[in-house]
Amino acid sequence: MANYLAQFQTIKSSSDRIVIAVEDVSDLWLNVKESFERRVPVKKACLNNKARNPVFVDNLPAEFIQTTDSRLRSRFPQEQYLFWFREPYATVVLVTCEDLDEFKTILKPRLKLIVQNDEREWFIVFVSKAHPSNDQATKMAKKVYARLEADFNTKKRERCCKFDLHGPDAEFWDDFDSKMVDCIRNTLDRRVQFYEEEIRRLSEQRFTPIWNFCNFFILKESLAFMFEMSNLHEDSLREYDELELCYSESVTSPGKHREFGGLDTGDDQAALLNPGFKALTQIVQDDVFREFEFRQYIFACQAKLLFKLSRPVEVAARGHAFVVGFSKTLALHENSLPFCFREVWVITACLGLIKSTTSHYDGGAVSVDSEKEFHRLQGDLYSLCRIKFMRLAYLIGYGVEIEKSPVNSASLSMLPWPKPATWPSIPPDSSAEVMEKEKMILQSKSREKLFNIYRKPLPLEPSLLLREANRRRAFLSVGNLSELYDSADGSGLDANSKLSPNRSASNFMARTMSGPAMSETSLPVDRPMRLSEIHVAAEHALKQTISDPDFMTSFSSVEEFEKRYMELTKGAADNYHRSWWKRHGVVLDGEIAALFFKHGNYDLAVKSYEKVCALYSAEGWEELLADVLPDLAECQKILNDEAGYLASCVKLLSLDSTLFSSKERQAFQSEVVRLAHSEMKHLVPLDVSSLITFAGNAGPPLELCDGDPGTLSVAVWSGFPDDITLESLSLRLSAWSSADEGIKAIKSSDSHVLKPGRNTISFDIPPQKPGSYVLGALTGHIGKLSFRSHGFSQDGPVETDEFMSFEKPTRPVLKVRKPRALVDITPAVSSALLMNELQWIGLIVKPIDYSLKGGILHIDAGAELKIEESQMIEIENYRGDMEHASSANSSAEAGKVEKIPIENGKIKLPDWASDVTTLVWFPVRAIDDTIARGESPASPQKQSIVDGMRMIALKLEFGVFHNQVFERTIAVHFTNPFHVSTRVVDKCNDGTLLLQVILRSEVKATLHVKDVQLDLQSGFEHLGKGDGRPASSLFPLVIAPSSRAGILFIIRLSGTKDLDEVENADSMLNIKYGISGERTTGAHSPGPVQPGDSEELLFKIALRLKRPVLDPCLAVGFLPFSTDCLRVGQLVNMRWRVERLKSPEDASISGDEILYQVDANPQNWMVAGRKCGHVSLSNEQGSRMEITVTCIPLVSGYVHPPQLGLPEVGEVNISCNPAGPHLVCVLPPALSTSYCIPAV
Amino acid sequence: MIVCVAVVGHQNNPLYLQSFTEADDALKLHHIVHCSLDVIDERVNNPKRSAPTLNETFLGLLYPTENYKVYGYLTNTKVKFIMVTTDLDVKDADARNFFRKFHAAYVDAVSNPFHVPGKKIASRSFGARVSTIVKSFGSGTTG
Repeated sequence: MANYLAQFQTIKSSSDRIVIAVEDVSDLWLNVKESFERRVPVKKACLNNKARNPVFVDNLPAEFIQTTDSRLRSRFPQEQYLFWFREPYATVVLVTCEDLDEFKTILKPRLKLIVQNDEREWFIVFVSKAHPSNDQATKMAKKVYARLEADFNTKKRERCCKFDLHGPDAEFWDDFDSKMVDCIRNTLDRRVQFYEEEIRRLSEQRFTPIWNFCNFFILKESLAFMFEMSNLHEDSLREYDELELCYSESVTSPGKHREFGGLDTGDDQAALLNPGFKALTQIVQDDVFREFEFRQYIFACQAKLLFKLSRPVEVAARGHAFVVGFSKTLALHENSLPFCFREVWVITACLGLIKSTTSHYDGGAVSVDSEKEFHRLQGDLYSLCRIKFMRLAYLIGYGVEIEKSPVNSASLSMLPWPKPATWPSIPPDSSAEVMEKEKMILQSKSREKLFNIYRKPLPLEPSLLLREANRRRAFLSVGNLSELYDSADGSGLDANSKLSPNRSASNFMARTMSGPAMSETSLPVDRPMRLSEIHVAAEHALKQTISDPDFMTSFSSVEEFEKRYMELTKGAADNYHRSWWKRHGVVLDGEIAALFFKHGNYDLAVKSYEKVCALYSAEGWEELLADVLPDLAECQKILNDEAGYLASCVKLLSLDSTLFSSKERQAFQSEVVRLAHSEMKHLVPLDVSSLITFAGNAGPPLELCDGDPGTLSVAVWSGFPDDITLESLSLRLSAWSSADEGIKAIKSSDSHVLKPGRNTISFDIPPQKPGSYVLGALTGHIGKLSFRSHGFSQDGPVETDEFMSFEKPTRPVLKVRKPRALVDITPAVSSALLMNELQWIGLIVKPIDYSLKGGILHIDAGAELKIEESQMIEIENYRGDMEHASSANSSAEAGKVEKIPIENGKIKLPDWASDVTTLVWFPVRAIDDTIARGESPASPQKQSIVDGMRMIALKLEFGVFHNQVFERTIAVHFTNPFHVSTRVVDKCNDGTLLLQVILRSEVKATLHVKDVQLDLQSGFEHLGKGDGRPASSLFPLVIAPSSRAGILFIIRLSGTKDLDEVENADSMLNIKYGISGERTTGAHSPGPVQPGDSEELLFKIALRLKRPVLDPCLAVGFLPFSTDCLRVGQLVNMRWRVERLKSPEDASISGDEILYQVDANPQNWMVAGRKCGHVSLSNEQGSRMEITVTCIPLVSGYVHPPQLGLPEVGEVNISCNPAGPHLVCVLPPALSTSYCIPAV
Repeated sequence: MIVCVAVVGHQNNPLYLQSFTEADDALKLHHIVHCSLDVIDERVNNPKRSAPTLNETFLGLLYPTENYKVYGYLTNTKVKFIMVTTDLDVKDADARNFFRKFHAAYVDAVSNPFHVPGKKIASRSFGARVSTIVKSFGSGTTG
């Protein structure tokens, strides 16, 4: 059957569409051909796929071929089955007839003959030539057609349709199409079934000796091809997939050695997208296809179908996998293939895939995901291509031009060298080329990086090329070589060791081996090749491998190589950027940048390098960053981008210190300092957040009271390797809650030298608003360069144990409390103090969690209060506070009393008193110029408490800068020691008065009355000794607080001086007393406080004595009524007795006639007789007389009786004794019987 | 042979990277590990496409290149473990097993109260333990 392969290929290539046979019975084809062929390709067809599910197919390509055509006639039946896919899928029988008889006799038997073949799917088109205007003919045609239908239609299926030549009939075409599609579908189904059965039959023979893959392939591909023709691409693809699977199984099965292929000219150019690259007959061998070509063929067929299915993404995905997989297969056969065949093939395959998928790809119709996936695959293809390209370039000596970056190293150093059977030898007459390569090697030297950074270049080779190449030369023994180059390193010669160590020693040797070229042109066969010779040999071998002359131009010169290299790198980077794989893209950008840099295209290089650096630094890949950053810095330096350059230097400094040597780091620093002190055009604040970091000190935040300045100490880490001088440094604090409020720069004025590592810097904080503050930013100047650091936490130096994690929230460093009481001053005593005496006022000064250090207390005594500045102020611990003060606080020495002077009302608080509650005693004297007055029944006193009040204004200035002020005015109550009241206890007949003086203690202290002396006012005099002492001598008299004592004086009235004078003068009571009281409780002795001691004090008080007003000269007595009761209308005698008590001393009131007057209410009383008149009374003491007035009560009830008045005498001189009644009871008049006449 | 193992933090920052090659070329392994994060990101960000493996910590082969393979493992806290091997036929079960041990070692290392989360792991005993795990992987006696 393999013989049919060629035929199969021809047939396949010649037939590309479904054939519909036309059985032209009535010679009508030429009439209808045009309109029929307008119907193909079939717009819409419903076909069944392999799983027998209906599938709608668009634009099904089809072709009408007459059965008489040579293409359909000359076929053997055997062929027909084998290549059944090309046989007609439907037969259209074209008939016409205008006569019923003719139909019956001629046409019908003929048609029966045609349609009896079951194999064929047919339908009849009856063509009516009748013109619509010709009714006769039309009618006839209808009749014949009806007959035709009756004969050929079955119940199941209608097989006839009628086509009017002269009338457009849209219905007909629908009918025609559906019938045609029916036929095609049926045929297709039958053929699919046939092929499937055949394939199954063959598959069953799979493991028998007669199994022939070629036959299987023909069947399978026939089916696939049929599907493809029917536009059932999915099914076709599936067939190819199965075919591929089957091939893989058969090719891997152990068996006889098969040829791999790939040795023809042009094979190096991948044909994985070109199914017609080679005729299948060329690649078949012993009924099996050569793997190299066949795999590509299958892939090409799949790709073609996928493109038809508009799935370029899948082509790319499958293609990438295919290239990678096939590359491995190529590696297995590498020793039979030309030198570097594999690399060349991969490059061309990738480029081919990229080209075709890109041209088929229209980004619009796919989802975002698959778009990204597509670009990722493109990137992968580019990148794969790039790697292989670099490998080839390296082999022919462009290795020195390739950047030794991590990405290149990762791809190349793990990629094994090509393994040809023998390494290509140097061609004869190539000394010129060798010289050239030699020159290239010699001229190349690794670029010196900025700051003299030296890093060992990363390897681009899996093992030393020199050794590998020479080892693979058949005639050199391994032993020789290892002795030659590196006898110490025997292990490195393992060809499979992909990571054989490239010790520096061997590296060095390798370089030296490429020394000056030797003059001889022909090498002795046993001499190992030099590197330059290896390159020349490789180049020559490559030229032979590569069939495409364009390809080779990429290696013709460094410029060409770099152009291609750039193209591939850019392609990969751009595609990766459009995929999910951003990192890949950015890293490749770095490679592009390196090339730009090499060519002095610094602008573009900077842009790309910046991207790379941003990527690495964002994710903290410092090792990788350290590799690229110096290059960026160098570009920036060349471009004179001072800001960028500085930022790069700072970044370099802030990288982990192990990544650079200290010398390098010092170079960075000196660069920064040099720039900072130079004249920079654009002064940009430099962000040194990663280099200078700062934090508040550990522990609780500094707490300040409102209005207080403070000192905040901040730990600043310097990442500079050496000391660095900062011209200024200031710190910004920002409010914890709101960002905008309270941001204030705090300057630390003096310049600082930051040591490497931790420094502690103190900042003076002016008073801040209440709130919490966090560290904001640190700003300062290095030279002329201003810098700022926000690096509160990030990238703190790792080596310090106080390292801060950046996840930690920023902690407030400063808390300024809301205004609150910081101190309280209260008076120590509440009870009254002595007026006019020196008294100690105690003030309890209580600091509330705040130091009063250096505090100054201003005491401003108000009016009528004087501070005795001659005395020292006493300060002592407040004992009341000691209970809750902890014992640890005992350093404040309980009971300590310190005396300090007071000047201008100011006291400076001693230091020991700054944190403890103290009691400040200061002497005052309340001044009351008025003389205290005693109280007597005759002159009651209203004493206001305000009288004894004295105000003291206190002002305490404290805080570090005396910025805190506490002001308070306190009231202190002063009083006299005694409250004195007098009363006359008794008045004797002889005019002697017993005057009691009552002393009431006004203070909370015990008073000792030592002596009392009363200086009487005129008009009074003492009885007895006359020294003004009291009657009894009981001194000292002790008066307890709030108790009273009485002292009795015996006095009498004296003289008869002017009454006014007597009234206005005062008596003075002098009390000599002592006081024993505690100053903590109240009044106390003015002198030094010594218990038990009581100094004598004098208290003077004025008493106003009044002469006894009861000194009458006449006494009026009301004599009792003569009757028991008074009745209305009954006469009653009112009698008063008037007695002269003493003879009048004054002539003015003398006389023996006394005017009397009876005063009575005329409504109640009727007075009979004289209401007023003169009665005579002798001037002698004791003379008496009686006045009688007769009255008649007029109303009953209690009424005021008439009163007797003596208008001339004055009430004061009248003593009513006994006094008249206030009211008298008057009864109603008694019933008078004289008016009662009995009823007789 | 495992050439490199790495722990990468949840912000894609390297926490630990140890190469096991003799040559002084760790930087290229940094690059490989760093770039393989792309693949992890892609898988994590596109759960649709990797639905069956979403709930699994072992991410499998990330990066089939011709010459080395990169395997990944993602913990619930988004810490990634990455292993680069030049062994081209690694069984998934072996890799899974390796990562399980590696994860356990990591958990022990970060449980150290003196370790600052999110910072590089500097513990020497962790390094030693990882080396042991790596060595045992090569010997084929995993499990």
